Amino acid sequence: MASLGELERAVMDQLWSADGPVAATALRDGLADRGVALTTVHTVLTRLEQKGFVVHDDARPRRFSARASREDHAAELMHEVLGQAADRQAVLARFVGSVNDDEARLLRELLAGGR
Amino acid sequence: MLPVTAAALAVLATLLAWPVPALLGRARWPGRDPLVALVCWQAIGLAGGLSIIGALLVHGLAPWGHSLPEAWWSWVRGEPAGSPVRGDHWVTMTLAAVLALQLVGVLVLSWVRTARARHRHRALLELVVEPGAAPDTRLLEHPAPVAFCIPGARPLLVLSSGMVAELDEAELAAVVAHERAHLREHHHLLLLPFVAWEAALPVLPAAGRAHGAVRELVEMRADDVALRALAEGDLDGADPRRTLAQAVVAAAGRPGAAEVPGGALAVTGGGVRARVVRLLEPPAPLPPAARAGALLGAVLLLLLPTALLLLPAL
Repeated sequence: MASLGELERAVMDQLWSADGPVAATALRDGLADRGVALTTVHTVLTRLEQKGFVVHDDARPRRFSARASREDHAAELMHEVLGQAADRQAVLARFVGSVNDDEARLLRELLAGGR
Repeated sequence: MLPVTAAALAVLATLLAWPVPALLGRARWPGRDPLVALVCWQAIGLAGGLSIIGALLVHGLAPWGHSLPEAWWSWVRGEPAGSPVRGDHWVTMTLAAVLALQLVGVLVLSWVRTARARHRHRALLELVVEPGAAPDTRLLEHPAPVAFCIPGARPLLVLSSGMVAELDEAELAAVVAHERAHLREHHHLLLLPFVAWEAALPVLPAAGRAHGAVRELVEMRADDVALRALAEGDLDGADPRRTLAQAVVAAAGRPGAAEVPGGALAVTGGGVRARVVRLLEPPAPLPPAARAGALLGAVLLLLLPTALLLLPAL
């Protein structure tokens, strides 16, 4: 039995690779190798909608699509990660912040000098 | 005599609001033992809050008794004051209440806001990351060389594909060891009080200075822990210090992504340089006596305002 997190990823992968909105039944068929029931697909879709990652249209049956492309999704995340504001930095522990070109050259010289 | 206690607390608060953080921020020994310095900073933050709120409270409650617990109790029970209550007593009492509420409020608020942001980041991440080389790492498809961790009950340690492409095996192991150290020692909890201090009292230069110093010390501490882990592990004979320094320089030097805000970049420059210098030319560790002295100082710093507040007045 796959975890909900894994299923969320699998559903998002399908929505991202689809050409347009997809019905829940089509998503279930796409996940046939995992053997999930239609109710499970709906559970996953509801969770994804609550998180703001998926929207549905008013057609019958309902069809679902991703709110942002995979690239936009990653870009939004990286924007927060790369931001230097203190409150953002408090949220996650980044290995090292970026420095400007002069500083970067200085650091490389420092490294070369210690050899 | 409560006025004497109030004056003593006020002097302590003034020392902790400016000269003490300035001295510790400029001192060179914290780089030799970041852990001890972090303990000292926590003591300064806590003692500072205790003494400034305590000084105001003690002065405000002075007409009600001869020691703070006694005066507080008789004020709570609505007993008449033993000596005339002037306007300045009410003003300082109000200030004490406002400051205490603001500090606690900001602390709770930053905790909630941070937890919510982490929750959102985790949700965003879980959809796009792949399992990484090590069981506790995740790989994020992005050209910028970035590594970070999201602390919490289910911590996430993320490496970008740019980072993996930029570094060799040993350097990547160093990065992962550094991030693991942050997570294992819960460094985000050490930063939280200083985020709150800075948000609560942005006019106090020491608050910003303390926050910056603690941020740098946490990185140095994570470097130290990572070096110890790397020395035990197998680096194929590579020098752990040099490996970690190379990883820092490689990751800091290539922003790689256009969205990095240009104006803010240089801010971290000095800190990164200090970190690299420290890795390449490690300062001698603090002698045990100095270490014990600093820790004792931190304990005394916390005991002093506590004693002034709780013991019957002199």
